[in-house]
Amino acid sequence: MTGADSTARKLVSLSPLPSWALALLVAAVVLGVVLAAAGLRREPSLARRFVLIGLRIVAAAAALFLLLEPGVRTLQVARVKNRVAVLVDRTASMGLPAAPGAGSRSAAVAEALERILPGLKALEDRFSVEVLGFEPALVPVGEEILRTAAAPGTRTDLLGALRALRATDTGGSRKLSGVLLFSDGADNAELQAGVSARASTELAALGFPVSTVQVGESSLLDVALENLKVDDFAFVRNAVAVEVELRVRGFPGRDVPVVLEREGQVLGTKTVHVTGADETTQVSFTFTPDQTGRFVYTLSTPVFPGEAVTENNTRSFVLKVIRDRVRVLLVVGRPSWDERFLRGLLRQDANVDLVSFYILRTSSDDTQTRNPERELSLIPFPMEEIFDAKLSTFDVVIFQNFGHSDPQLSIAQYERKLEQYVANGGALVAIGGDRAFGDGRTSYPILDRALPVDSVGQAASVAPYRLHLTAEGQRHPVTSVLPTGTASLAAWDELPAASGVNLVRAKPGATVLLDHPGLLVDGKPAPVLALWEHGRGRAMALMTDDSWTWAFTVHRNGEPSRLYDRFWGNALRWLVRDPDLTTLQVSADPPSVEPGTPVGAAVTAREADYQPAAGADVTVELSSVRDRRVVGTARATTGADGMAHVSFPPQPVGAYRVRASARSGERALGEAEDALAVRTLGPELTDATVRTDILVALARATGGKAYRLPLQALPDFPLLDPPVVEVGRSRDRPLWDRWEWLGLLGTALGLEWVLRRRFGYV
Amino acid sequence: MVSLLHPMPGPPLPRRALLAALSGLFLPRRASAFGDGSRFVPAVAQHGGHWNARLSGLRRIAWELQRRTSVEVVAEARPLALNTRLFDFPFIYFGGEGDFPPLAPAELETLRRYLTYGGFVLADANDGSSGSGFDAAFRREMARLLPASPLQPLPSTHVVFKSFYLLDSAPGRLFTHPQLQAALIGGRAAVLYSQNDLAGAWARDEGGDYAFEVVPGGEAQRELAVRAGINICMYALCLDYKDDAVHLPLILKKRR
Repeated sequence: MTGADSTARKLVSLSPLPSWALALLVAAVVLGVVLAAAGLRREPSLARRFVLIGLRIVAAAAALFLLLEPGVRTLQVARVKNRVAVLVDRTASMGLPAAPGAGSRSAAVAEALERILPGLKALEDRFSVEVLGFEPALVPVGEEILRTAAAPGTRTDLLGALRALRATDTGGSRKLSGVLLFSDGADNAELQAGVSARASTELAALGFPVSTVQVGESSLLDVALENLKVDDFAFVRNAVAVEVELRVRGFPGRDVPVVLEREGQVLGTKTVHVTGADETTQVSFTFTPDQTGRFVYTLSTPVFPGEAVTENNTRSFVLKVIRDRVRVLLVVGRPSWDERFLRGLLRQDANVDLVSFYILRTSSDDTQTRNPERELSLIPFPMEEIFDAKLSTFDVVIFQNFGHSDPQLSIAQYERKLEQYVANGGALVAIGGDRAFGDGRTSYPILDRALPVDSVGQAASVAPYRLHLTAEGQRHPVTSVLPTGTASLAAWDELPAASGVNLVRAKPGATVLLDHPGLLVDGKPAPVLALWEHGRGRAMALMTDDSWTWAFTVHRNGEPSRLYDRFWGNALRWLVRDPDLTTLQVSADPPSVEPGTPVGAAVTAREADYQPAAGADVTVELSSVRDRRVVGTARATTGADGMAHVSFPPQPVGAYRVRASARSGERALGEAEDALAVRTLGPELTDATVRTDILVALARATGGKAYRLPLQALPDFPLLDPPVVEVGRSRDRPLWDRWEWLGLLGTALGLEWVLRRRFGYV
Repeated sequence: MVSLLHPMPGPPLPRRALLAALSGLFLPRRASAFGDGSRFVPAVAQHGGHWNARLSGLRRIAWELQRRTSVEVVAEARPLALNTRLFDFPFIYFGGEGDFPPLAPAELETLRRYLTYGGFVLADANDGSSGSGFDAAFRREMARLLPASPLQPLPSTHVVFKSFYLLDSAPGRLFTHPQLQAALIGGRAAVLYSQNDLAGAWARDEGGDYAFEVVPGGEAQRELAVRAGINICMYALCLDYKDDAVHLPLILKKRR
């Protein structure tokens, strides 16, 4: 589009001679004047010199006029109608209040656009005016959209928006004469740290001035948790560090508590005393996750009256807690072959970190030493350290034939700790022998609560017998040493005869995997291997001390057997709740979503023999951690691979748990759960700062001006003049071809000749 | 002549106390391991040579193990042919005086499997030989048994020297070879070999007296031989337990 046509005139040379020839002629004429002046340098009369030189100059000028052939060229021209862009920030931070208690920043822009509309219309005779929003992609916007539609952008990239705008400047009528930028300046991309020298250079090279209009007040009230730093995963029983910046604006003198929670359970609180009007404090938490799995952690501060943004007072993150190596504490009542082969196995297993304590000597043993301290390698049994200070660092505690009455070796005072350790998620194994399950000189009634069996108070049976794998044992992952129940049964049958069993009865709720084929306790086969869940933990009891024969004696005929390795491998995995040993698994997909995004969950169901459970009915519940309320229930049927996927509508910001259960016909396949977080929308809503510095620097770098709301009218912001272009044909009117110019030349030359004769120069 | 450094004689053991203690082993006890299987039994390998020269020594070391440590033992030497019965006894004493005929291939195969799956052999040259007699025969059989794991000197830093007592060497009835030799399988000393006649220092005659003089260190050396035997049995039972990180600082401090 172009402006109205107009006429322009300009003086031009109409000589057909080339430029160099004209230049030579001009030089010759100038030389003539100079020579004339030089010839008169001895003339004593100043008047005569002036007259003669003047006549020569007049003649030279007339000669030049005739040589250059000047003329007037008449042109028809028009001014190009360039663009002016009004660029409006459409990122999420523009949804924040422009001032405490005021409407949104976008609404303030809409109001400003209304006010400057007449001014923009006035520009339209010279410019084409476009109102664009950047999200950061450029899209046309109007006041209505600004008032009603939420700003969708998740990232403020002012430089990127200007680059995109520059790309639309293809010259001609698309050329930009200037930009008026409405923004809060809350850049969280390249300009986040301010306008650098490099950015200034790039801005200056844009080729058009950018004038900025600051939206929002920089002096707002806000408490924000920013720049959260935490890993995506952590190792169980290893310390995890969380760092967050607490930025407090407008609340000097206040104490601001920061609370770290795991799904409603407070893990720690730090209180920051704020002294300045705008203060940022680094807050660090260290905690030790005690369970594997995925959990939602939340950092939060109270919401103070008048805060511009309340969403940034809470930050949630999902932490996947995994196992490093299974840390096993092996406490042995006395060295034995059972201990030796278990130790050999655990020490070889790269996935096991073994810490062991053996009772090598009791107070009744006579070591035949005069200076035991120097002659023996024995160290004191560090009961306090391992059963008090370090207990929680172990994934599994194994007591092997342990039951000393000696006060120096008795763990009676740590029974409660151990029982609580199991109840709180630890794992306990008790292995039989002459000192275990009441057969020793003492018992531990409180610790026994964690075990799946009760002693019957009878001496152990030492008659040889063959182990019997129960029906539960054929299905259970601990005793499933081969892929099928039948194969596992055969493998257990091939074991050498066992030589002893502690007599116990299984507690209600316990699962007996191995039992005695002929010995009855309370009318039922005596359990040899039993397990159960105690509180959040698991416990297993093996009522014999010759499981070493499964590792050693079984090889007597040369046939390799991996039963012992697989049994203990399975047992450890079951004890530490290895996810692969559960029949039902659910995982939030993805584990962390932003508001407005549907929440998904993937479910994998297996039969008891760990084959995929096809056609199983799956129910998934989504519940809010905050109020323990179920917010959605979804049902699905698993495919041939035992998998199903369900989806829930978008949820508000917060922590959620996904609980799945599955049934195959009348049979329950188990339950599983996972965690997910609906997070605050990125950095846009975590920082309500209005960046005046960026807006001013940006305007300065491009040759624009910086303004701030409110605007009463369109400011007189810098714009480049549109270029003028020639339209239509030109007409030339010669000025030189008149007799007056020739007469003037002849008269000047003639008069000079006459005077020179008279003065005696000719 | 080899001399003993820092001999550490134990207090003398009256014969009456010994008899009382021995009799105690056979009295009923309220707590005892499940049968023989879970106890330490000093099994003795029957080979074609003079294999049974130190049976009383083995009874003695088992008794000492019972008396000095928490280990439950069967204080009798149990002769075993080199067949599948070996797999009931993870510890075997393989000793002898003089040459012995080569082991049968089946015996070698059984013994190899025994060692591979965790069995332990304490070999002992009762004749104190070196390059002849039992030593030559045993080395010949070891070369057939574990060609990939030759016998090698065991440094005094090995865990066997700190598995119960803190020792620097392993003397026996003799002290001609301060170092034990070992054949390692996967880092574990599956075979320990002494040329000092360890069991000769432990052995007693029918009257209860020590069967052999111990040279050159006398009774102090005998006590060290017993301690070496205890440590070897403890190593067979506990493997590298005393190499665990929790023990090392204290043990190093004690050794200073």
